Amino acid sequence: MAASGQRISGDTFWRGLAVLLAYGLPVVFILLPLAAFLVYSLFWVEGTEMHYDLTLVNYIRFFKEDIYIPVLRQTIVLCLEVAALGILFGYPVAYFLSSLKGRKKYTLLMLLLVPLLMSYIIKMYAIRSILGGNGFLNKALIALHIIDQPLTFFVFNLNAVLLTLTVLLLPFAILPIFLSLERIPKNLLEASADLGASGWQSFFGIVLPLSIPGVISAATFVFILAIGDFLTPQMVGGQNGFTFGRIIYSQFGFAFNWPFGAALSVILTALVTLAIAVGFRFGGRKAGAL
Amino acid sequence: MAGRILLELKGVSKSFGATRVLEQIDLAVEDGEFITILGPSGSGKTTILRMIGGFTQPDQGQILLDGKDIAKEPINRRPFNTVFQDYALFPHMTVAGNVGYGLKVRGTARQTIDKRVAETLDLVQLGAFKDRYPQQLSGGQRQRVALARAIICEPRLILLDEPLAALDVELRKQMQDFLKVIHREIKTTFLFVTHDQEEAIAMADRICVMNYGKILQLGSPTDVYYKPHSEFVARFFGDNNLIEGTLGDGNGERRVVDTTLGPLPCMADGATAGAAGSRAFAVIRPEAIRVDVGSGWPQGSTGGTMDQIVTGQVTSVGFGGSTTVAVVEAMGQGGAVPLRVKLPSRVEGLPIRPGDRVRLGWRAGDCRLVAG
Repeated sequence: MAASGQRISGDTFWRGLAVLLAYGLPVVFILLPLAAFLVYSLFWVEGTEMHYDLTLVNYIRFFKEDIYIPVLRQTIVLCLEVAALGILFGYPVAYFLSSLKGRKKYTLLMLLLVPLLMSYIIKMYAIRSILGGNGFLNKALIALHIIDQPLTFFVFNLNAVLLTLTVLLLPFAILPIFLSLERIPKNLLEASADLGASGWQSFFGIVLPLSIPGVISAATFVFILAIGDFLTPQMVGGQNGFTFGRIIYSQFGFAFNWPFGAALSVILTALVTLAIAVGFRFGGRKAGAL
Repeated sequence: MAGRILLELKGVSKSFGATRVLEQIDLAVEDGEFITILGPSGSGKTTILRMIGGFTQPDQGQILLDGKDIAKEPINRRPFNTVFQDYALFPHMTVAGNVGYGLKVRGTARQTIDKRVAETLDLVQLGAFKDRYPQQLSGGQRQRVALARAIICEPRLILLDEPLAALDVELRKQMQDFLKVIHREIKTTFLFVTHDQEEAIAMADRICVMNYGKILQLGSPTDVYYKPHSEFVARFFGDNNLIEGTLGDGNGERRVVDTTLGPLPCMADGATAGAAGSRAFAVIRPEAIRVDVGSGWPQGSTGGTMDQIVTGQVTSVGFGGSTTVAVVEAMGQGGAVPLRVKLPSRVEGLPIRPGDRVRLGWRAGDCRLVAG
């Protein structure tokens, strides 16, 4: 009796601890920092002095000054383009992957995911050495006599940011699409062919509609990761490749206006939350049909 | 019913890796018939269906449609449609979308599709469900959508791959009747694959029994039921009594098997019986055996003209609804043999209890010879 009583109280203890961790960790590591940001965004700075009374002056500044909203809009457009390019390049790769069989499929998948294990900074430097005015790409094009002057089209501007983000985030586009393609039962394709459909008809009639949830989550993934990135625009964007992430970064790094930086971060967080909600709504509902 | 041959498999073999799944299969499907391929899992029955449908290619042999080899034709060019085991309905399309799919990919005009879909859904009694999605339907309804989707293109042959396996018993019985009705109505050839012998007997014009990649017997349900050609077929249909013994001399329709119960006269198909002295079985269906509990043979049977009579002791009696199955330890010179006996049940119960001594009798015509 005593032993079993002890065991029950021991169980209760561990269960209590597990519950505490399950709810406590997200609160401490996610919700509290977010709350801290929110509170910080309501402080204000005058010169180099922090004022700790609550005000909306930072948010008013965001809407009033001419620079922030256009940069945010431009950043959103950029990230939508990254997401679109990611889908455009990621879909065929994912489709090819899912059409492979057995070991080949997973070996290739692993290879595609290897870049995710590499340091972000290293990948960025590698891309810089390809894209620069004297970079590999320009040199190669000149050597092949395709051009005779180095192109500036992709040198340290928004195009370079677009290209780099697409390359870096491509695995995040491939993976959800690959998974949604894998989830399509093979017998649906057999049924489609059995009913007389050609390969193309089966693709557009069955495969594409059923992989839309994966496409939407891929787009959401890529968009969120791109819009939160400040390092890539910083390193390959040059003077022209100015994005919202860089503005936030500069508030913390150079302007020392943490409350304003926090306010811009809150706005970005709201935007990302919206993107997730939209992705969930459309991706989730379609996925429910499977 | 020797009809015109629609489809013929000639010397078809197939291996998956080192496993031989089909071994030199010859099978002719007659136009308009309901043929069932029956066998346990792993017998190769589904492979035959998938080969006809075009989902797998034979390693050897020909598949002839109207005499022309179609073994190399792609799936979408074959005039056959399949009802898949788990229905394979398109989850993103409504019932109407699913049923109309085959016409749509053929480029049929929209109005024609709508009209034909409505007709076909009426045929399977799902007219009211055309705007539902598959996941909003019950198992039986999905089944009927799958059937409607397969018949709308008016295929020469409909392939059904264990389509009733996922349904519960009651619904399965209904669907069996329903499939028969549809078969009569649309007059197309049905090739139905199942592992359930009762289902095969209830539905088929002809049954093709398979095991280990070979066709063991092909014939009408009564043929394979009453005249099994092999031990496997004899055991596969219900709880047959197989009494092992040695084949005696003689030939022709009547042979004798020497068993522990003594020499038993059996009906034989000359071709399938072995040589004298070989291992053989005397096979008697449990419902063909009459029981005398001491008051004479039951009414309605052939009275005193039993060809074979043995005595024994009842070891168990089991009520099974319409029939009651008793196991009787039959005594012979060589020892005891347990025989299953099936008797029509009665509300007041049967006058037979474990421990009773009884006489068992049957007519020679009910005892079949099967080579061992």
